Amino acid sequence: MERRDLLRATGAAAALSFFGAPRDALAMWSRVAHGGAILGGLSEQQLALIGAVADTILPRTDTPSATDVGVPAFVDVVVSENDSDEDRAAFVAGLDLIEARAKNAAGNAFAQLEPSARASVIESIEAEADRRAEPARTYWRLKGLIVHGYFTSEPVMKEVLKVEVMPGRFEGSAPMPVRASTPPGGGAHRHA
Amino acid sequence: MREQTSFDAIVVGSGISGGWAAKELTEHGLKTLVLEAGGPVDPNADYVEHVQPWAMHFRGFGDRKALERDYPVQRGCYACDEVGHKFFVNDNENPYTNPADAPFKWFRGRQLGGRSITWGRQVYRWSDLDFEANAKDGNGNDWPIRYKDIAPWYSHVERFIGITGAREGLSQLPDGEFLPAMQMTAVETDARAKILKAFGGERVMTIGRAAILTKNHNGRLACHYCGPCERGCITHSYFTSLGSTLPAAQKTGNLTVRPNSVVAEVVYDEKLGRARGVRVIDANTMESREYTARIVFLCASTIESVRLLLNSKSARFADGLANGSGTLGKYLMDHHYGSGASGTVPGFTDKRTIGRRPNGIYIARFRNVKATHPDFLRGYGMQGGSGRGGWGRGSSMPGYGAAFKDSLINDLGPWSLSASGWGETLPNENNTVTLDPTVKDKWGIPAARIEVRWRDNERAMDRDMMTAMAEMLEAAGCTNVRTHRSNNPPGHCIHEMGGARMSKTSNEGVLNRWNQAWDVKNLFITDGSCMASCACQNPSITYMALTARAASNAVELMKRREL
Repeated sequence: MERRDLLRATGAAAALSFFGAPRDALAMWSRVAHGGAILGGLSEQQLALIGAVADTILPRTDTPSATDVGVPAFVDVVVSENDSDEDRAAFVAGLDLIEARAKNAAGNAFAQLEPSARASVIESIEAEADRRAEPARTYWRLKGLIVHGYFTSEPVMKEVLKVEVMPGRFEGSAPMPVRASTPPGGGAHRHA
Repeated sequence: MREQTSFDAIVVGSGISGGWAAKELTEHGLKTLVLEAGGPVDPNADYVEHVQPWAMHFRGFGDRKALERDYPVQRGCYACDEVGHKFFVNDNENPYTNPADAPFKWFRGRQLGGRSITWGRQVYRWSDLDFEANAKDGNGNDWPIRYKDIAPWYSHVERFIGITGAREGLSQLPDGEFLPAMQMTAVETDARAKILKAFGGERVMTIGRAAILTKNHNGRLACHYCGPCERGCITHSYFTSLGSTLPAAQKTGNLTVRPNSVVAEVVYDEKLGRARGVRVIDANTMESREYTARIVFLCASTIESVRLLLNSKSARFADGLANGSGTLGKYLMDHHYGSGASGTVPGFTDKRTIGRRPNGIYIARFRNVKATHPDFLRGYGMQGGSGRGGWGRGSSMPGYGAAFKDSLINDLGPWSLSASGWGETLPNENNTVTLDPTVKDKWGIPAARIEVRWRDNERAMDRDMMTAMAEMLEAAGCTNVRTHRSNNPPGHCIHEMGGARMSKTSNEGVLNRWNQAWDVKNLFITDGSCMASCACQNPSITYMALTARAASNAVELMKRREL
């Protein structure tokens, strides 16, 4: 059901009209979505690294990749417009360490590496036992932002997850849906 | 035309209690003025429950810098988020203080509808186990009422607002006038049965009782299960004063609402020995004006009502209005909550939920109901729920590539089940609200100074919440059972109660059994400040019932010309 249908249906209940007019505009993602500048944004090189890591974790399959849905821009917004100076500095330094890991292991910037070389860099970082030591610390923060940015993006929420904003019911014991497709092959997958 | 300044009744506050006072008084024919310190709210424009994460600049993380600047206290509440912070006060304009060694969180909403827009919606009746507790163990004063006095008013309120729940027949948690219960998850249904069996029927896990409609009711639509109630509800499917009691009051033609009206003082008429009315500061113009009425209802919220009385000084009441007993501002309480346990539930991987249930499970109080617990007085209820991780687990899950992505899209991960305790706090004279000697709010009104501490009984109960919940999860077959200990300071539960308590005699409290000030006969206080103990149940439904009861009695007194 669309929200305007709900409004129509409630009629009387929504009638406290003496309480004023619309006031606040939300701080909308649309500024960035429409190409607006990110305040104090990351460099092109840093964004290329983030995009390459993001697309290694969430590549294009029958569903969009992380960069297809603007994940690097979301990471940039959080790091550049939301983080404290201290957190931002730690993140940027951590990115450099991830890049250094790529150069040491495979002799090139992460974004320039072949998929198999990218995979082995990620595997080597994920294999670190202490997730609070760099570069694992920044990597896991980045991974969290990538996953959050991907699954909260408009195309993924609407087209992939098919989130119903107003489901109109709650079922506590529904069956799992029949899968539309079998998982595509390729890529490592280990459960925690 | 000059603004009307004289009314039959003035209600201070437009939230859960104020809305009920307005409805009952106007329906009895009284010309009633509702004063709200905050601004108006237009549900059609201001409610933001359907704003999706992708439309938020920080995707729900919140504008950290703005929140730290303007909402350093309020942001500690889960509902003060990227879009919902507008229903919380700006801390810079609304300061309060506490001793450095007694942290207190005061989460506040100043807008039409008050905190009824952001409340947790859980509604549980009290029983005589609660009303008799003070008398039995000697902490606090004996309540002047018992369950039989309030039971019909619970029904009156529940029938109007609509509440969902399941009948359980428990003496310590009386059933209410329930609309159909929401479903438990497959995991919760299974856990309920196993816990009942393991503890001989003593520990009952039931579906949460909530002021949310599961079918259309009184002109409001049933819940559409979108999820984030605390951001408002365009269909008014959960109870707010804005969507329920205030429209009913408006329909009578007897209601006047004045937003942006900060009440600075209840004006006491020394000659008549009554409240003449209130002095208001216009929140925008800073202009001061007075409104008069035959009766005044304070429904400004626990700490605000106490602060208002403390700020209402006269020759007769130098230490705060209606404070002949000297108890005003004492015995402040909040629930200590959040300690409990969580676990992983094996199996059920062929099951999922559809819709976002704005409600959880509730485990009725089982301590000190029959057997006496050796470590603490009184008891706690537990609240929690179950679910599957979904894509959120990807943040910490190793892996990458197509299979990793497919797993986050198509698998939901294992089920988890968790619950935490909401515990009764003993009334203590040293838990207080006073006035800060120097700090004032934006309108020049002396700020509240709040001093509340958890003590041994609360701490002992917290420990038991953890072990008891872990036992239940193990009985339910959970693996990976882990306990968690809450560090929440007083106030964090947003169940502030006490400070202007009801009492049997005028020397031990502020209010009589009808929420009428002992010392000022035309002054009534029906928000949480009236509470003489805090039980362990979420308190709002009790404020509503007490408010309706007090309003009815006040009207009777007026008819009999005793007011």
